[in-house]
Amino acid sequence: MSLPAPGAQVGTAESVADPTWFQRAVFYEVLVRGFYDANQDGTGDLAGLTEKLDYVEWLGVDCLWLLPFYQSPLRDGGYDIADFFTILPEYGDLADAVGLVEEAHRRGIRIIADLVMNHTSDAHPWFQESRQDRNNPKADWYVWSDDPERWSEARIIFVDTETSNWTWDPVRQQYYWHRFFSHQPDLNYDNPEVQQAMLDVVRFWLDIGLDGFRLDAVPYLYERDGTNGENLKETHEYLKRVRSEVDADFPGKVLLAEANQWPADVVDYFGEGDECHMCFHFPLMPRMFMAIRREQRYPITEILAQTPDIPPGCQWAIFLRNHDELTLEMVTDEERDYMYAEYAKDPRMKRNVGISRRLAPLVDNDRRVAELLHALLFSMPGSPILYYGDEIGMGDNIYLGDRDGVRTPMQWTPDRNAGFSRADFARLYLPPLMDPVYGYQAVNVEAEMRNPSSQLHWTRRMLEVRRQHPVFGTGTFEVIPTDNPSVLAFLRCEEDDLVLCVNNLSRFAQPAELPLQRFAGKTPIELMGRVPFPRVGELPYFVTLNPYAFYWFQLVDAQ
Amino acid sequence: MSGPAVDETAVDRLLPAYLGRQRWFSGPPPESATVAAREQLDDGLEWLLVDAAGGRYQVVVGRRPAHAIPEFLHGQDAAVLGVVGDDVAFDATLDPEYARVILSKVAPGEEGNLVRPMGAEQSNTSLVFDDRIVLKLFRRLHAGANPDVEVTVGLAAQGFTSVAQPLGVWRRDGVDLAVVARYLAGGAEGWALALTSLRDLYAGASDDPAAAGGDFAAEARRLGEVTAGMHLALAAAFGASPGDPAAWAALVETQMARLEEGDVDAVKSKEFVERLRSVASPGPAVRVHGDYHLGQVMRTDTGWFVLDFEGEPARPLAERQLPSSPLKDVGGMIRSFQYAAAVALFERDAGEHETLRPRADAWERRNRGAFLGGYYGTAGIDDVLPAAGADRDAVLAAFELDKAVYEVLYERAHRPDWVEIPLGAVRRLLDAR
Repeated sequence: MSLPAPGAQVGTAESVADPTWFQRAVFYEVLVRGFYDANQDGTGDLAGLTEKLDYVEWLGVDCLWLLPFYQSPLRDGGYDIADFFTILPEYGDLADAVGLVEEAHRRGIRIIADLVMNHTSDAHPWFQESRQDRNNPKADWYVWSDDPERWSEARIIFVDTETSNWTWDPVRQQYYWHRFFSHQPDLNYDNPEVQQAMLDVVRFWLDIGLDGFRLDAVPYLYERDGTNGENLKETHEYLKRVRSEVDADFPGKVLLAEANQWPADVVDYFGEGDECHMCFHFPLMPRMFMAIRREQRYPITEILAQTPDIPPGCQWAIFLRNHDELTLEMVTDEERDYMYAEYAKDPRMKRNVGISRRLAPLVDNDRRVAELLHALLFSMPGSPILYYGDEIGMGDNIYLGDRDGVRTPMQWTPDRNAGFSRADFARLYLPPLMDPVYGYQAVNVEAEMRNPSSQLHWTRRMLEVRRQHPVFGTGTFEVIPTDNPSVLAFLRCEEDDLVLCVNNLSRFAQPAELPLQRFAGKTPIELMGRVPFPRVGELPYFVTLNPYAFYWFQLVDAQ
Repeated sequence: MSGPAVDETAVDRLLPAYLGRQRWFSGPPPESATVAAREQLDDGLEWLLVDAAGGRYQVVVGRRPAHAIPEFLHGQDAAVLGVVGDDVAFDATLDPEYARVILSKVAPGEEGNLVRPMGAEQSNTSLVFDDRIVLKLFRRLHAGANPDVEVTVGLAAQGFTSVAQPLGVWRRDGVDLAVVARYLAGGAEGWALALTSLRDLYAGASDDPAAAGGDFAAEARRLGEVTAGMHLALAAAFGASPGDPAAWAALVETQMARLEEGDVDAVKSKEFVERLRSVASPGPAVRVHGDYHLGQVMRTDTGWFVLDFEGEPARPLAERQLPSSPLKDVGGMIRSFQYAAAVALFERDAGEHETLRPRADAWERRNRGAFLGGYYGTAGIDDVLPAAGADRDAVLAAFELDKAVYEVLYERAHRPDWVEIPLGAVRRLLDAR
């Protein structure tokens, strides 16, 4: 591997060599604030994350996804950006960012970061200038109107806090448009200067060495009369422009779209392979949970059957949990009631239209279920995204309010402040978990590193196996039918690499007869232990599975 | 492949014993079997119509050299007729090569590479090709159109999407021999899903099925909607005639007469029948499924599908095609909910039955309610039903009762331990008067 020449505007050497790296990558979502505190001020920082890169490398992660690290009044977890070119001072400075990128690249780890294109904080100088009057140079950088009824077809996303998409500004004496919080005015993409300004932001960070962006809330860039203001063709056109400029000057970088829409609409964000490289598959996640509660595969297979094919060179991003709530926008009302009833027994766990829990508490701390969910995540079509702390089975604190419950400090050791910070406890941005089940004395990286049967070691081993089989990233996906509704079997296939995944979604042991006759003569090799199973014959292939068990078999020609 | 000389009588001599081994043959091995028609479909593949024990059956015989028994015959002794000359003669549906020949006969133009049998069935043999299409070969044949083919084609023509779309029919002298339809890949029987839900409930912490992870009510509701859609399409395809409560009452009366003395209160029975006879607005009679239960519906990735419109195979064909109130099917499905709850209960240790029974009852109530909610909530369904209220309740109760009495008779003959399940339902229905 050769390092890029100093100053060259390229990514890592590998990303130039392989622009499709993201199709096989495992992502790890990190809250800089919560990962590690290097300067002992109670808040995690970029230098702290740099110190913990060895851990990330050991775990087997290919790419970090950093939540917003920009200057911000932090009224929305940093998604309210006040300056796109400045690091939030608590996190460090630009030199720390450069240091992080270099150290990560040295380990073969890539980094993408959140970028909010749709809006800024109302503290952003652009907005402060725009609101002064109706004639200043940035007067049209935001969406202003005298009519608060305009575009009333557009839904209100944060129904818990907002009553309208318009807010009155007493300074300019006009309403401004915001699809999210009222302190986050939407940028006006009809203004070519705004389009160019955001491209400048993109270039700035790719020059620093970032490997791409997670584009936050992309469906809402434009507004048009008589529409709901989502997925408009103008929005797609702008994203294609971003893509073509990135491809031209920064090959191997990735754009990951957050478009919380039905798969049939989301695929539009891939364009013809000329828009975003990746999109989140939102509805799959709640349905994985639901399938296990229902003990039947249909919640999963149904949504996959409704998922269109994506253009070559693209990839879904899939996840179990993230920094947001368990999003239930993409399920039916009936299913949402069910998910609330099952997973949010305490009303405090609900937020907007979702559930704020970490993985372990969501599955009642059942290690078997957590492993099955991870096995599904690692084998379904898409690149998996892990949420920091879920690899050790961290819990949450639903009493912290907003989404902070799932953003507590990473639990490194059983020492003071979970080994996250040496600051005074009272200075920590959030208290670490201290309850007897999920608290840092029970659940931490150090202890799990020492215990070979820990969830941490299990996760690492799974990622290792996954890495050995690119078919998990780029292979075709085909459900293998079986009469037993509790068993989900599917085949990943790429040329002669065949991997059969069999999952028992039930809490009881289950049998399954799989119609594998077309693979007669092949031998299934179980991938964790490389144990050969009986040869596939002319009859249905019979397997039995323990509760919540799964198999990954490679089908090979009999030796 | 076998030689050209086909010794017909040698095969014929093997037929009686062979028929006696088939699940689709009713009764003990016949004394004799007469070949009514035969045709060589391909080299080594012969098609036969066989009359035996008062029934007519369809048999396909394949032949391959006896010195190299193919793997697909391993463990399939029942499907082997025997040795004929240098060949082994066997049920040709097991042979992928012959199966493809039969497929081309039923649906010319359809191709299938990989073939697998779908498992034993009572009255036919089904082969799945490439997990894409399914060929159903009718074994027990009746004069006239096969109701399964007739109804499926009729429903599909009405735009009802919850049946497997037919792709080809093999008909000879007015008798349907086989049909090819789209295969419902990834489907699971409603029965299997219901048991999954019940096992979860019985093993869980709560008596309330609504609180259980495996709650079935959403599925039951959607199944009710699909059932209503089916009845509307059946009415559109085959027409409707005025319902005849007197005839329904006579049926119920005849059925009740088969019960043993002491099974039910005679006064209540009489009242029940009279109430049914006096229904003022019975709604129309339409073509119905006729044997509707959880084993006849399949959940797929695109929702519920309805299978097998042959009606109860034990009844004569003419009777199976008789129009009835759609509530006959509704009653059948509702009975199926109680059966599922009971079967899952009987899987458990006998010592648990009493403590789990409230859960079984609650599960049945909940899913019955959800199914009826989905069914009655479907736009337009009132047009094919008795007037809502007392009349509708009376007619539904009558068809439930009819089915439950049938079950009592069946269980008494086959599983006496189970007779209390339907008998309890019969009494409950009569007491509700």
